[in-house]
Amino acid sequence: MTGTAFRRQSFAGLPAGSGGALPALTLVGLFFIVPVVALLLRSVTEPEPGLQNYAALFGSGTYVRVFLNTFLVAAVVTIVTIVVAFPVAWMLAIMPPALGSVVFGIIILSMWTNLLTRTYAWMVLLQRTGVINRALMSLGIIHEPLPLINNLTGVTIGMVYIMLPFMILPLVGTLRAIDPMTLRAAALCGASPLQAFRRILLPLSLPGIAAGGLMVFVMSLGYFVTPALLGGTSNMMLAEMIAQTVQSLLNWGLGSATAFVLLVVTMALYAIQLRLVGARRLAGGL
Amino acid sequence: MKLILAGVLAGLLAATAAKADEMVFTSWGGTTQEAQTKSWAEPFAASSGIKVLQDGPTDYGKLKAMVDAKNVTWDVVDVEMDFAIKAAKDGLLEPIDFAAVPKADLDPRFSNEHAVGSFYYSFVLAWNKGTVSGEPTGWADMFDTKKFPGKRTFYKWSAPGVIEIALLADGVPADKLYPLDLDRAFKKLDTIKSDIVWWGGGAESQQLIASGEAAFGQLWNGRVFALEKDGADVGVSWNQNLTAADVLVVPKGAKNKDSAMKFLAAATSPTGQAKFAEASGYAPINTKAKAEMAADVVKGLPDAHVDGQINLDMNYWAEHRDEIATRWYAWQTK
Repeated sequence: MTGTAFRRQSFAGLPAGSGGALPALTLVGLFFIVPVVALLLRSVTEPEPGLQNYAALFGSGTYVRVFLNTFLVAAVVTIVTIVVAFPVAWMLAIMPPALGSVVFGIIILSMWTNLLTRTYAWMVLLQRTGVINRALMSLGIIHEPLPLINNLTGVTIGMVYIMLPFMILPLVGTLRAIDPMTLRAAALCGASPLQAFRRILLPLSLPGIAAGGLMVFVMSLGYFVTPALLGGTSNMMLAEMIAQTVQSLLNWGLGSATAFVLLVVTMALYAIQLRLVGARRLAGGL
Repeated sequence: MKLILAGVLAGLLAATAAKADEMVFTSWGGTTQEAQTKSWAEPFAASSGIKVLQDGPTDYGKLKAMVDAKNVTWDVVDVEMDFAIKAAKDGLLEPIDFAAVPKADLDPRFSNEHAVGSFYYSFVLAWNKGTVSGEPTGWADMFDTKKFPGKRTFYKWSAPGVIEIALLADGVPADKLYPLDLDRAFKKLDTIKSDIVWWGGGAESQQLIASGEAAFGQLWNGRVFALEKDGADVGVSWNQNLTAADVLVVPKGAKNKDSAMKFLAAATSPTGQAKFAEASGYAPINTKAKAEMAADVVKGLPDAHVDGQINLDMNYWAEHRDEIATRWYAWQTK
C-alpha cells in the first residue's frame, strides 16, 4: 500500500537530482528535449536568422485558420468521444468479468487493425453513394444523400471511432474503482437514477474522463490520415499543413515554427489540466 | 552498454554504405514503382550485375535532409519535373552524365541538365458513365454545374494542373496561360467550390470516380487506363489534355553515381521506356519507344492525343511554386 503511494508520488513529482530518475531523465533529454531544441533552432534560423517564420505564421490568415480548425476538430472529437465512451465503459465495468473480457477483446482488436484500412472503410460507409446513404434512401427516410464526408461530420465520426479505446480504457479503470455501494446508498436516500449519475457517478469518474479526454485531445491535435481522407479542405488540420510545408514546399523554417507553436500550445493545455485535476488523480485515472 | 552501442553503430554503417555493385532506386510505390521495377530494375540488374534496391515513397523533405546531412542513401529518385528544376537550382542534384546516358532520342520537353524523363502523363477529364448523362467535351463542362450536375474531383495540392484547368474553362487560350492569372483562376474556381471533392493520391481519384462519389474528375491518364482495364464504366475526354512529366534525378553526393547513370541509360532506353509504358499506360519519353510497343497500347497514350495537347509550364511553376501555394491554401481553407 505504502509502496504504491510512494511510486505514484515519485512519478508525479519527478524529484530533481534523485539518482533513480537519472536514466529516465537521460531518455527524456535525448528523445524529447534535444529534438525540440533542434526544432526551435530551425524555426528561427531557416532560411535566415530571425523571427520571420513566426511573423509569417501569425500574419497568415491561412495558418491561423488551420490552427483554429485543428483545435475545433480536436475539441469536438474529444467531447463526442467522452459521450460515446461513457456508457460503454460503464457497461464494461459492471459486466461479469468473463463477458467483459470478450467485449474488451473486441475493442482492443479494432485498435490493432490498420488505421488506413479503417479510415477507408469509413469512406465506403459515409460517402454519398455509400452504404449508409443508400440504405436511408432506399428506406425512403431521405431523398437526397446526406453530406457525411469531406466535412466536420466525416472527420468527427472517423476520429471518434479511432479514439474510443483511448477513452474507454482509462474510464473503465476509474469506474471499476467506484464502490457500487455509493450508488445503492444514493438510491436508498431517494436519489433518482439521473441524480445518482449527476451527483455521484460523474464526479467520481472525473479523473478517468480527464485522463482519457486529455489523451484523446492531444492525439487528435496531431492527427493526419483520418482528417486528410474524411475531411474537406475547409477543415484541414495542422499535421497535413505541416507535412505539405515540409515535404513539398521544403519550407522547413515555417514547418518547424508551426510544429513548435502546436507543441507549446499542447504543453500549455496539459499544464492547465494538471493544475485543474492534479497529476496524481490524472495518473490514477490511467 | 558500450558493446551494444558499438554493435548498433556498426549495423547502421553497414546499412548505409551500400556496396559498389548495389544501388538504391526510389519512387512513389504502388503500381508505378512495380512497373518500374519490372521494366527497368530487374532487366538492368540481370545485364549489368548491379543489384537495384527499392525504396520509397519519394519524399522531397527526406531528399533534402539527406543532401544537407551529406548522407545520401538514394541513388536515383523519381520526382516531379517542377521539383527537379527547383532542386537543381538549390544544389540538391548531380548533373546528368550525358556521356553515359544517350540523349539523342529523349523528348527535349522532359529532360534537362539535372534530370531525364521517367515517363510523362496527361491530366484528362474522366467521368462515371453511370452518373453522368451526356458527353462532357472539355474542362468548361467541369465548371458547368447546370448542364452537368454532380461533384467534381480535383488534385488537392498546390501543383500544376487545377489553376490551368480553371483558366482554360474560363476561356483563356492555351498559348496565353502563362504567366498564370491567379485572380481569374480562383474567381472561376469559386463558382464550383462547394461541388469540389479533393483527391490527395491516385488511388483516391480512382475510388471517387469508380464509385460515382464524384461525377467528374481531373485524373492522371494512367489511373483512367487502370480503371478501364478493371472494367469500370468510365468516359474520358482528351480535349486539352495537360502534360507533365516525372523525371529521374540523382541526389547530390549519391554514393553510387556511376551505377546510377548506367541505370538512367537503361531506364530511358527505347526498350525500358516501351516496357514501362505498356505496364503503366503512361507515355514514354524516348521517341523510339513506340516502335517497340503493341499498337493498341500506343493508341491509349497521351502521344495519340497531341491535338489540343497543352504542356504545363514547369519552369514557371518551379519559379512561382511558393507564391502560388500561399494563395492556394488560403483559398482552399477558407
